Amino acid sequence: MSFQLLLNFLIAFTWMFLKNEWTGTSFLVGFFWGALILLALRRFFPQRYYMEKVYAIVKLLFIFFRELFKSNIAVIKDVLRPKLNIQPAIFALPTHLEKDWEITTLSLLITLTPGTLVMDISDDNSTLYIHAMNAGDIDETIEDIRNTFEKAIMEVSR
Amino acid sequence: MKPNDLILQTVTKVVAFIIAIFAVYLFFAGHYTPGGGFVGGLMASAALVLLLLSFDIKTVQEVIPVNFRTIIAIGLLIAVVPGLFSFFFGVPFLTHTFGYFNLPIIGKTALATVTLFEVGVFLVVVGFTMTVIQTIGESE
Repeated sequence: MSFQLLLNFLIAFTWMFLKNEWTGTSFLVGFFWGALILLALRRFFPQRYYMEKVYAIVKLLFIFFRELFKSNIAVIKDVLRPKLNIQPAIFALPTHLEKDWEITTLSLLITLTPGTLVMDISDDNSTLYIHAMNAGDIDETIEDIRNTFEKAIMEVSR
Repeated sequence: MKPNDLILQTVTKVVAFIIAIFAVYLFFAGHYTPGGGFVGGLMASAALVLLLLSFDIKTVQEVIPVNFRTIIAIGLLIAVVPGLFSFFFGVPFLTHTFGYFNLPIIGKTALATVTLFEVGVFLVVVGFTMTVIQTIGESE
């Protein structure tokens, strides 16, 4: 990923030197051609083509916005209800993620989507302890987190 | 039982750099817009204090192996010494001047000797803040 990005920057700079234009526009044009060249020669790299990773990051961002919207509406419903109808609970979520930044991203995503809140991480970084506002469907919540956030983060770091 | 600081430390590793560049921006913004050596220094100390909060004093001293009391002295020297050069030109002490120079890449730039004074202020503020916080933190 980083090596391909560095190569792309190198191509963009070479383009700027060849055109003798030291501007942002010519850098962008060179970057575009560099991305195309790397796409053509992507079989040479052991990792996947890095634009796929960029796409995965953007996708993660959009998933986050969608979930934020959905869950905030859910919380508004709970707040405006005349009779409080919640069942708080704390449950453990075993996670497959290993790197520090992955676990952090997952925790922040879970925390920022209301209804669930990460309270603690076990010492071996394998389990997240989550406080849920509605405990009626814990298994469903776990599956939900698995299918959206964890999958998207794994897409990025694959 | 020590709590798991994974999230705090990971976020700190990202945010400390953002605070640091914001400190540099504030420092250079001081001539025409709000900012300057004092605020920049405080902001730079804030980045270091964030590191102190999420790691411990020993780690931060290994990462930044400087004695902050020395930093105060260096900052005061940098603030005062350019002021002494005013005597060579027959103007009062701490008179500052500026000029326009053609730098190789950036082009026409206004360079002022006040910046040196501000560097001194910056270093004194960083040194002072960090000395205070480390001395309070170390005394068991």
